[in-house]
Amino acid sequence: MAMQIEKTFQVKEPIEKVWSLLSDPRRVAACVPGAKITEQVDEKTYKGTISVKVGPSATDYKGELEIVRLDAANHEIEILGKGQDVRGRGSASMKMTGKLRSLEDGGTEVKSISEVNVVGILAQMGSRMINEVSNVMFGEFTRNFQAHLQQPGDAPEAEAKPISAASLAWAAAKGAFHRNP
Amino acid sequence: MACRTSPEVGGMGHPIKRKEDLRFIQGKGNYVDDVHLPDMVYGSMVRSPYAHARLKSVHTEKAMQLPGVLAVITGEDLAKSNLAWMPTLFHDKQMVLATGKVLFQSQEVAFVVAEDQYTAADAAELVEVEYEELPVLVDPHKALDPASPILREDREEKSNHIFHWEVGDKPATDKAFNDAVVRVKVDAVFQRCHPAPLETCGCVADFNAATGRLTLYLTSQAPHAHRTLFSLVGGIPENNIRVISPDIGGGFGNKVPIYPGYVCAVAASLTLHRPVKWIETRSENLQSTGFARDYHMTAELAAGRDGKFQALRVETLADHGAFNAAAQPSKFPAGLFSICTGAYDFSTAFCEVDGVYTNKAPGGIAYRCSFRVTEAAYLIERAVDVMAQELKVDPVELRRKNFIPPQKFPYKSPLGWTYDSGNYDPAMKLALDMIGYDELRREQQEKRKKGELMGIGISSFVEVVGAGPAHTFDIAGIKMFDSSEIRVHPTGKAICRMGTKSQGQGHETTYAQIVAEELGIPASDVTVEEGDTDTAPYGLGTYASRSTPVSGAATAMAARKIREKAKKIAAHLLECSEDDLDWEPGKFSVKGAPGKAKTIQEIAFAAYTTVMPAGMEGGLEAVDYYDPPNLTFPFGTYICVVDIDKGTGEIKVRRFVAVDDCGNIINPMIVDGQIHGGLTEGFAIAFMQEIGYDENGNVQGGTFMDYLLPTAVETPHWETDKTCTPSPHHPFGAKGVGESPNVGSPAAFVNAVVDALSHLGVKHIDMPIAPWKVWNILNEKGMVH
Repeated sequence: MAMQIEKTFQVKEPIEKVWSLLSDPRRVAACVPGAKITEQVDEKTYKGTISVKVGPSATDYKGELEIVRLDAANHEIEILGKGQDVRGRGSASMKMTGKLRSLEDGGTEVKSISEVNVVGILAQMGSRMINEVSNVMFGEFTRNFQAHLQQPGDAPEAEAKPISAASLAWAAAKGAFHRNP
Repeated sequence: MACRTSPEVGGMGHPIKRKEDLRFIQGKGNYVDDVHLPDMVYGSMVRSPYAHARLKSVHTEKAMQLPGVLAVITGEDLAKSNLAWMPTLFHDKQMVLATGKVLFQSQEVAFVVAEDQYTAADAAELVEVEYEELPVLVDPHKALDPASPILREDREEKSNHIFHWEVGDKPATDKAFNDAVVRVKVDAVFQRCHPAPLETCGCVADFNAATGRLTLYLTSQAPHAHRTLFSLVGGIPENNIRVISPDIGGGFGNKVPIYPGYVCAVAASLTLHRPVKWIETRSENLQSTGFARDYHMTAELAAGRDGKFQALRVETLADHGAFNAAAQPSKFPAGLFSICTGAYDFSTAFCEVDGVYTNKAPGGIAYRCSFRVTEAAYLIERAVDVMAQELKVDPVELRRKNFIPPQKFPYKSPLGWTYDSGNYDPAMKLALDMIGYDELRREQQEKRKKGELMGIGISSFVEVVGAGPAHTFDIAGIKMFDSSEIRVHPTGKAICRMGTKSQGQGHETTYAQIVAEELGIPASDVTVEEGDTDTAPYGLGTYASRSTPVSGAATAMAARKIREKAKKIAAHLLECSEDDLDWEPGKFSVKGAPGKAKTIQEIAFAAYTTVMPAGMEGGLEAVDYYDPPNLTFPFGTYICVVDIDKGTGEIKVRRFVAVDDCGNIINPMIVDGQIHGGLTEGFAIAFMQEIGYDENGNVQGGTFMDYLLPTAVETPHWETDKTCTPSPHHPFGAKGVGESPNVGSPAAFVNAVVDALSHLGVKHIDMPIAPWKVWNILNEKGMVH
């Protein structure tokens, strides 16, 4: 099941500070709920895991993250992630383009366009569920991202707490029922 | 048909209450999941998340370490006993547990057995399977593209093509089309759907090492055939297999095939020497067991300017999924799809079907229809409406003009069938009168002027059911006769054992009524028993509306054998010649001396207690294996009225009239119940249901959240009536009815919706017609404000 998800949010920090975070996969991964970088393979490639639990379906993806394009001049990054569930329950891949833009008030707009392709048990839940799950995950990512920006550069990396199954399912369900028209 | 017996006897035509319902409504049914045996353990299936992937490894160690886990069986394990593959019911083979690669999402990969079902389910999660994803083939139209992956590496033929089948006169049909003044064409997909019986599939396999016998409690519509197949495939002597189909909670064709879970449970019981229960979850049922339809059809119809049909040409692509597990007679790769000329008198026709493999669950089964008859009825009834639209004539008028006239029966169709009997116009007329057709058309005109949307859909379907004559029909080599064995006890009560198996059809009542009709023993005194292969005579089971046409006939014939013997005993007791006896249900009396009589109960008592006539054996019983001389051809006219909300595309079925003709009726109340149920399923198919797949082969209709079942809230009110045209070759003139409503109704629903939009130029909409589809059309036509 392929989907395109586009998200935009704004932060108060200036573009160069935001770029230093966005261009560091380790720190970005730390903002993604349930995600973890486990190993750096080379300059552009990392290994990692991400856990997503939706209702009865727990999926632990294990895979690779590759920085396909890093354009510091334009503040654009393109990341390709691919993973398989460790228990063979399916796979997912994502091509994410992140883009920064300076705002007049000195802040920065972060825009991400993700093409997500999910195969397996999770994909059976249909796009309405996946969309809600990604909304919830993205909301948490945004909060974590902002929190990271506010940390002093040399502060120890805080790892995002693995996403709670119950809260995620509940939040997604709420989203599905209270969607704005 | 007037009743020949009193209501107390309850023979043919009496609306007696269903005997089986007493236990069902009290929750005292006994289904497979109600079977609890000492030392029983539980199985759970590990399934593939991928539609097409190379199987790199299956690691069972972690699962085996979980306390309570007894075994984890993989495809490689089964391969050692040559059981990794099993034959399907249709000249193909199917993986029991995957080896090499997986070919559809939710395919069976490993089978975990544990002390309880929760441990089994947990352990299934611990089985680690490594896959390498392969390109997926979802669209059947791409199956034969050179660029598409070849799915079945096990086959010699390196192609996704399964079969080509054709029937009819191609040159004559092509010529008729070249010469025709009016030609229409409709592309119609009968979507992949699923019978979704309320009880999912399951079994308890109980191998007794001491006796060497395997008892298999099975959700089976065909217990005898399954026993034979288990014996042939598993190498277990057939006398050492006992298949018991207890109460079955709906089958609709879904419980005809043998599924990998059954085989795994048997293998596990043979290994562990303990009873193994395996019961599917709802999602497993929807995603892996026999689907129905998935026919991608094109019909062309040629007619004269006067509207007389001249020829029919049909081309169909059949998506069978990963394995050809179609459950249909051996000689009919596309089932009885060639009934597609329907109720109409064609001089020539041609029909061809190609079957292909895709990365989807295997099938397809005949969902509440005789093999592929629903697809055929839907297609012709849609094509006739498209022709009516082209000719700008009323669809009723066009149908009546082209009906096979009653004097032409038995009617030889251009595609090879001999229709036993039919009288189509009276059924049409009755339906028109009931619904008030002319008034509805006037109302429609008025509404259109006001911009409101209302449609009237007609379907005048013909079925072919009751397979079948043994010279033509077999499943996996076994001839499609069926059987009945009746034993009359000394006190005049009886037991009737059958080769069929009710899944809700009411056999315990209807077969008893046939015995009541033929012998005059009250239906309440007749016990009907089915589903135990140790006790019942051999038969091919219940599907394709074959129980009444075949086993019902066998019951009448067995009863008549008993009556013949009873007559000899009566003559002996009354000291007269057999020729001097008159029969009325329940009694032989001496002609001209009505007081001198013997009841069937007295005769039964005598059969066990009195000295029999010279040379006659004691007892009063008979068995009959009935081989029908022909199939039966039930028909009817359904009319549906819909109102469509322009703002939302929502369709409301305002009225639905169903006039059925299934010949002579055993129990009118059960017939009505069958019609109500089948119409409700047809309604669901037309508006709500599809087992869809995304481009990666992920099932999109794998739960009841996506695969919708109509409840009483959605279900329209059904108005039913009947005409009666008996089958001339059936012992009591019956034809079978359980499937008519599912066969006939989808076209009526779709025709009604298309009719509501026909003035906008709409000619066809594929099912399921959800509101969004209608809204999109209305939006495109500028009707949404």
